[in-house]
Amino acid sequence: MAEVRIENLRKSFGAVEVLKDIDLTVEDGSFVVLVGPSGCGKSTLLRSIAGLEPVSGGTITIGGRKVNDLPPAQREIAMVFQSYALYPHMDVAANMGFGLRFARTPKAEIEARVAEAARILQLEPLLKRRPRELSGGQRQRVAIGRAIVRKPQVFLFDEPLSNLDAALRINTRVEIAKLHKLLAATIVYVTHDQVEAMTLADKIVVMNQGRIEQQGKPLDLYYRPANLFVAGFIGSPAMNFIAGQVTQGGIDLGPDGAVTLAGLTAAAVGSRVTLGIRPEHVRIADGEGGLRLSATVELVERLGEAGYVHLRLPSGTVAVAEIRGETSLRTGDRTSLALDPTHLHLFGPDGRRMV
Amino acid sequence: MPQGTFLRLLVFFLGPALLVYSVFSIYPLLATILNSLYSHQRDGSYLWNGLGNFQTLLFDPTWSVPFWNALKNNFIFFLIHMCVQNPVGLLLAALLSLPRLRFRATYRTLIFMPTMLSVVVIGFAWQLILSPLWGIAKMFLQTFGLGFLFAPWLGLESSALITVSLISVWQFVGIPMILIYTALLAIPDELVDAATVDGLNQFQAFVWVKLPLIWPTIGLVSILTFVNNFNAFDLVYAMKGALAGPNFATDIMGTLFYRTFFGNQLQLGDPSMGSAVATMMLLIILIGVMAYLFLVQRRIQRYSF
Amino acid sequence: MRRHASAIAVHAILGLYTLLALFPIVLVVMNSFKAKRAIFNTPLRPPLPMNFDPVGYTKVFGDSSLPLYYLNSITVTVGTIFLTLLFGAMAAWALTEYKFRWNTLLALYLSVGIMVPIRLGSVAIIQLVAELNLINTLTALVLVYTAQNLPLAIFILSEFIAQIPRDLREAARCDGLSEYNIFFHIILPLIRPAMATVAVFTMIPVWNDLWFPLLLAPAGGKQTITLGVQQFLGQYITDWNAVLAALSTAIVPVLLLYVIFSRQLIRGLTSGAVK
Repeated sequence: MAEVRIENLRKSFGAVEVLKDIDLTVEDGSFVVLVGPSGCGKSTLLRSIAGLEPVSGGTITIGGRKVNDLPPAQREIAMVFQSYALYPHMDVAANMGFGLRFARTPKAEIEARVAEAARILQLEPLLKRRPRELSGGQRQRVAIGRAIVRKPQVFLFDEPLSNLDAALRINTRVEIAKLHKLLAATIVYVTHDQVEAMTLADKIVVMNQGRIEQQGKPLDLYYRPANLFVAGFIGSPAMNFIAGQVTQGGIDLGPDGAVTLAGLTAAAVGSRVTLGIRPEHVRIADGEGGLRLSATVELVERLGEAGYVHLRLPSGTVAVAEIRGETSLRTGDRTSLALDPTHLHLFGPDGRRMV
Repeated sequence: MPQGTFLRLLVFFLGPALLVYSVFSIYPLLATILNSLYSHQRDGSYLWNGLGNFQTLLFDPTWSVPFWNALKNNFIFFLIHMCVQNPVGLLLAALLSLPRLRFRATYRTLIFMPTMLSVVVIGFAWQLILSPLWGIAKMFLQTFGLGFLFAPWLGLESSALITVSLISVWQFVGIPMILIYTALLAIPDELVDAATVDGLNQFQAFVWVKLPLIWPTIGLVSILTFVNNFNAFDLVYAMKGALAGPNFATDIMGTLFYRTFFGNQLQLGDPSMGSAVATMMLLIILIGVMAYLFLVQRRIQRYSF
Repeated sequence: MRRHASAIAVHAILGLYTLLALFPIVLVVMNSFKAKRAIFNTPLRPPLPMNFDPVGYTKVFGDSSLPLYYLNSITVTVGTIFLTLLFGAMAAWALTEYKFRWNTLLALYLSVGIMVPIRLGSVAIIQLVAELNLINTLTALVLVYTAQNLPLAIFILSEFIAQIPRDLREAARCDGLSEYNIFFHIILPLIRPAMATVAVFTMIPVWNDLWFPLLLAPAGGKQTITLGVQQFLGQYITDWNAVLAALSTAIVPVLLLYVIFSRQLIRGLTSGAVK
């Protein structure tokens, strides 16, 4: 397995820049997940690593070897496609061995490697079947098998679970995590599903509009989002945002009131900021205090062990609070909510994290 | 729904189509087959003749010589289409479907253009171009130092049929091209990407991945070519007239049928023999279609993506 | 570099073939505007003021029947398309929507017409048309062409109607629409794209056909433009100006229409209707 290093990577279609100055290192044996809204460039980045898209500038190195000008087959990568892209006219064994045949691998070796992959993925009884005779999950495993037999330096996954139903998606996610451990593989994985990202990744890369917004360990991104975009993108339900202005010793939230906050520099006084707090760090509690805001209950969602209360603040901003167990709150009730000061996020006028 | 209302509904929706189709398509076909079993008398009446007309057509030299000649010519006509039109159509479709090709729409539109025009126009235009009187073709060959190759191809018994066939190929190559092009476009891009990752170049990806997936379309194109070729008439009639000269060298089943039915300078028209020729054509086409359906199509695997 | 070279090769092949496809057409149209001497001496030169001569066109339009033949062709083509679409859509609807005993049998009966060319029944068609007193009428042509095109039309439209969600028809029934209203107000508007495809498939062969005009309406001012040009060419075969002008008048309107509608047309042809 090998390390993938991407430096100053740029790509444009005509005047449209789809990748802007991407720098990214995928450590040897690590599992890196690219997430972002559709059209953010994550798939393009993956296809650039694969060599399926020519790049406009920058370098891509795999295992210390610059691969910019190499065709996909010589980059020692293997790719699992969203639609699996199995050859419909070949059986499972032929599908898995097809690339090796063209690399002039000896027949015995191809058979051995296909058998090995089939064993790992429990595909042995299906080797003589055609793709259309397989279920979605089986096709998915064949697609992964096709990648394994190539013994690549890097595995590339392009939204591999998006065509599966919910239950199968969870199963396959676990399978992929196990496979990563088993093969000690370097994996770059694209998804728009943040649960997949959080559970699978050693490192998450959040992309937006062709740029990397932040990269880091899943929980680092969760607890210390670098900017408003990442804060809003990671976590479900999304982080609450309240607009305000920095004052001496606190933040004026306009009609919503004010919060006292230590540690703000004097220079920041007067600047417009956004206060962010996750639903699980908002408590419903009557009374007054430095970090309390009054609100009206709009809707209560009960999920059983937990629930979400949607609250409207005087300014019109809607905030969500997570509750544990039962609550007597009903739509229309007036209440107040307390913000946990250790989990407050503050973003400056440019959207970057402050403090 | 009450039975009566339902019936009225069916009659309303199905009636017009079935009426027109039955009267102007199925009835004439059946009547033609029936006609071929009678013989037309000089006084205009018809006498039952059983398979006599077919015996005459196949074994009486005045009839059988032109018949076998037309049949043979028609097979050559078909073979030239299969060996030139369809491979060229495949090549053009393969090139047109290449990713990131510039001017794709322009090429496609222009190459399809001749297919839009009437065979009469096409036939006559080529007749002028190949005519020694105008000398365009000769001039062209001379530019490449090949002037000695020129001959009045359309006028020579040895080359007239091939020339007419190639003109037909030139006109209709757009049809296989478009059909195969469509089939190629239906192949998902990811499949080609997968082949690229598997180490195949464009050409190999075409041969090993795309071609096996478009066999059903190539089969369809072949049977369409067969039916159209054995039903052809317009081009030969427009270029060489009903007599399909020189000396019947370009005579195909369609022109033979026309001559037999309407007559010409050499013979009187004969509806019964005309029907017999039409019935033979029907038989040939049916045999071809059946052979395709039962022998070829069954072996071709269809794929949905 | 290699990518570059192969791109050039691809464009070379496509470009050359395009030239081959266009050359005869351009040659005919170009020379139709030239004086006779220029046609023969410098056939490859475009029409310029010094060799311009519209004598061919004066002859073609002097033969006043050509505009009439155009009108005949338009009448026949539009009439055929109209009847084929109307009858075809109605039958397709009944065959896909209503379950009755001989449903499959009828579909099979109709598919005969897709495989067997109607031309082979010409002997009986002539006799039939003569008995109906329709020889040398456009009606005869419209009826025969409609019969010829109906099977494929029904086939294509059925596939399309089958794709319309069942809920839509059920909802209309719940709203109290009659079966006739469901068809004319819900189904017909929804299958417009498929009808465009069918119209394209119908139009070209009908407009260009020589066989049935020759058999059914060869005279009496009822010739279509294809037959009319063919007859004109036969008369003036030695007059090159007239011949080239006649060919051009047949080519240019069709090509203009084609260039204008080529996108829709190719989309129709590639819409997967021919499976």
